Amino acid sequence: MTELIHEADLDHAHPEHEGTGVEDRKLGMWLFLSSEFLFFGALISNYLLYSQRPGFPQPYPAEIYDIPFTSVSSFVLLMSSLTMVLAHNAQTREDANGARTWLFATAALGSVFLAGQVFEFTEFIVEFDMKLSTNPAASAFYLLTGFHGTHVAIGVIMLLSLWGISRRRGGLSDRHGLNLELVGLYWHFVDIIWIVIFTVVYLLSEPPL
Amino acid sequence: MTATAERPTTTIFRRPSSTKGLWSWITTVDHKRIGIMYGYAAFTFFIIGGMEALLLRIQLSQANGEFLTAGAYNALFTMHGTTMIFLFVMPASSALMNYLLPLLIGARDVAFPRLNALSWWIFFFGGIFLYSTFIFGTSAAPVGVDGIGGIDGNLAPGGGPGSFNFLADSPDGGWFGYQPNAGPLYSPGTAMDYWALGLQIIGLASLVSSVNFLVTVLNLRAKGMRLLRMPVFAWMTTITSFLLLFSLPIIAVALFMVTFDRQFGSLFFAAQAGGDVILWQHLFWLFGHPEVYILILPAMGIVSEILPTFSRKPLFGYSAVVFAGAAIAFLGFGVWAHHMFASGITPVAQAAFGLATMTIAIPTGIKIFNWLGTMWMGRIRLSTPMLFAIGFVAMFTIGGLSGVTHAVVPSDWQQTDTYYIVAHFHYVIFGGAVFGLFGGLYYWFPKLTGRLMNERLGKVHFWLMLLGFNLTFGPMHWLGLQGMVRRTWKYAPETNLEPWNVAVTIGAFIIAFSILIFMINWFTSRRRGEVSGLDPWDARTIEWMSPNPSPEYNFAVPPVVTSLDHFWHLKYDEDAEGRAVRKEDGDEIVATIDHEQLNPASPIHLPNPSYFPFFFALGLPLMFYGVIYHKQLWGKGLIIVGLIIALAAVIGWAIEPLEEPHGDHDEEEDAIPPSPPAAVLPPSEGETESSDD
Amino acid sequence: MSSSEHIHHPSPAQYWKIAVVLAVLTAVEVAIYYIHRDFDLGNFNTVLLIGLAALKFVIVIGWYMHLRFENRMLSRFFTAGFILACALYTIILTALGAIALTR
Repeated sequence: MTELIHEADLDHAHPEHEGTGVEDRKLGMWLFLSSEFLFFGALISNYLLYSQRPGFPQPYPAEIYDIPFTSVSSFVLLMSSLTMVLAHNAQTREDANGARTWLFATAALGSVFLAGQVFEFTEFIVEFDMKLSTNPAASAFYLLTGFHGTHVAIGVIMLLSLWGISRRRGGLSDRHGLNLELVGLYWHFVDIIWIVIFTVVYLLSEPPL
Repeated sequence: MTATAERPTTTIFRRPSSTKGLWSWITTVDHKRIGIMYGYAAFTFFIIGGMEALLLRIQLSQANGEFLTAGAYNALFTMHGTTMIFLFVMPASSALMNYLLPLLIGARDVAFPRLNALSWWIFFFGGIFLYSTFIFGTSAAPVGVDGIGGIDGNLAPGGGPGSFNFLADSPDGGWFGYQPNAGPLYSPGTAMDYWALGLQIIGLASLVSSVNFLVTVLNLRAKGMRLLRMPVFAWMTTITSFLLLFSLPIIAVALFMVTFDRQFGSLFFAAQAGGDVILWQHLFWLFGHPEVYILILPAMGIVSEILPTFSRKPLFGYSAVVFAGAAIAFLGFGVWAHHMFASGITPVAQAAFGLATMTIAIPTGIKIFNWLGTMWMGRIRLSTPMLFAIGFVAMFTIGGLSGVTHAVVPSDWQQTDTYYIVAHFHYVIFGGAVFGLFGGLYYWFPKLTGRLMNERLGKVHFWLMLLGFNLTFGPMHWLGLQGMVRRTWKYAPETNLEPWNVAVTIGAFIIAFSILIFMINWFTSRRRGEVSGLDPWDARTIEWMSPNPSPEYNFAVPPVVTSLDHFWHLKYDEDAEGRAVRKEDGDEIVATIDHEQLNPASPIHLPNPSYFPFFFALGLPLMFYGVIYHKQLWGKGLIIVGLIIALAAVIGWAIEPLEEPHGDHDEEEDAIPPSPPAAVLPPSEGETESSDD
Repeated sequence: MSSSEHIHHPSPAQYWKIAVVLAVLTAVEVAIYYIHRDFDLGNFNTVLLIGLAALKFVIVIGWYMHLRFENRMLSRFFTAGFILACALYTIILTALGAIALTR
């Protein structure tokens, strides 16, 4: 019995309440992330709908993808999940320096991914003349990848804030340690969305005949 | 803030500490104050939306009416629908949920008090943003459509003689903003941008509060309050929150698509460039149908609290009512296309969605029969809240039945876009949700004020509203079946539609008069109403174990719940035949509770007020104004200013602890073993998690 | 319950191994993409690529997000959101003719 109570305390639960035993903020973050499926689902279906409609003005996004380039940037984002989880692991081991290093690495990898996206957009617009207003397929492509990029950018800002707090105070308090875990959850979620986008939007998408 | 006033210390600014005056309201994180602000704002919008409806009815009270221009008419029905749904019924439900949810489950506040303040301020600024279209918005006749260059007649907003012309410069695409009519080609000007972005802001507010309420329910219930011991209103709040959580992201995407179409030249709904306008309908109704249940489920919860109390019986089939609510919500995600039977979807889809729609009648029927079963053989007291609850059941049943007729596809083809539809959804939303909400206001008024509302005025209000309501919306059924088209601006005298339209208009004014009586009752009873005491209704649920009006800490001693209808079981025993008999010392029990709850044994620590939710919320509309005017330099500037304000607020928020350190109080508390546990709320919320869509 | 949470979390070494697996899976995906371009794999291509993506998806959620080790309620909510999104958008795409019922 005492052991159970002890564990409940570890989970930052509210001992005076009936509850799930999951910390409030963590529960909130998971709920929010589950609703994000509906958000990105709408954007992805939007792309799937328009990317295979025939008869639009050229080019379709699927005609001009640079698969080697996108593969590399996908790899970068995937590896940022590794550095993120290592940051969390260092934090749980109370290794403040390790956590800070891995946080910075994650933010750096995220920024590389964003830079890649900026480059990709620029290339599409300048080289291939595919603008937001070229055709609905292009609109859908930019809206989807743009909102994903926005999510990554928000993630990078949150990571850098944690990194800054940790640098100023020589480590993260318990409260900010939980924030690190929450940012991690968010970051991994953005990553799994990209896993889907990379496969469904880049690798599987073919322009209509 | 604490029950004993303490000086907050650590933060970059001095932490707000006022408990009275404007700043105390701006910085409050108390769920009850936030609920009150939601309530007054919602009611204000109700009055505005009602005025809009009255103007519409004046125009339609005679054939070939000349009261409004076509443009003003379009703008008024759009704003009426948008206002009543997003700015009245939703926030009014939100007001009651905010005020009551922690009380119903025996908590001291919601899980994230500052996030709760954020929701409210986002909603508030969103509403102002939407309505600022009356000042800043423009709408012009479509130009450049293959040399048509401005279409006369019904499409010419602001054209021609007539009064209320200034209203024509506001959103005019209907509350569901069908494309491409609401797109850049057919609705030039900025009015529809205000609509799309305004709804975006308001949606964000609801998303944030849905997460907040869910965590509150899941993690903060009083000891012993298992999920299936929660009052039904708390359950319906939970279910509504799930609906919001999963449906709002869909409309967020759809509204972003509209905004991108209108502002940045994307082609999602541009039919001339291959955009699919039916996609808008799918996305809108995929949100829009759950939205209908978001409006009605809270009212169902309210009624499920009122009926047992005034029938002096437990709710008949408590778990059936709860599960039927969950079933309605679940099925509600699978029926959206019944709004689109006339849009050319395939026969298979029509059959499937028609059948799915009919199945919703099953859980709804379960609820209605359970409410009847609750009243059956009860010792009914016909107080005002009870009248409204019974009115709800009766009117909602009528609306539900006409709803089933829409599920029959061929019949729906006949009814689509006629006044029959208008009649149906007013029976469910006004006859349902609004009756339920008024019932809730009368029922919980003592909780807010410690006083009772005047019964006689309340009854006058009820009967007048019931009469006016049926006179307004009843005849709309046959007007619709006679072929009167929805959203028509004029009808010809030969159609013989005038007599019933006159009746409808008279009914609308009777409703308005009844609302006036309600307002008089509200404001006089607030100061001079009969003092209620702890338990004016002989209630069942634990929110009545908190004194009236509720102190800031809700419960000095958090209740330990032993059963469903815990408070009732404290006061009542069963006799040999299973009838409820009030215990001999019932009054003493109530008095003891009152005394206990009013006098905390030691200071109770509550979250401190904060400036940051207000300023974070202030940043959003600034950014969105900037989006509308992004082509001008000052528009771009506004985006940056808004972003900076929001970002600064987020940073301040992240640094600021939820609760200030309490100095030596903590030690004192530790030293006294039997002191009630302080409301140790979690230190902070996820600051930025909600800012990204 | 979450009691197991602090015991079974993977170690950094395991995280690195998982990363290698993810990287290899991505490489295989890209390889399949190029093989499909030269030798038409037909529907097999779609099945393979979706399968690999699903595998990566589950690995990141289960291990990096620790969902395997968390309170089961969290995975229920998360799965509910995912399944709801898949179901609803599949129906919409079918209704709009983007997914043909018969080929």
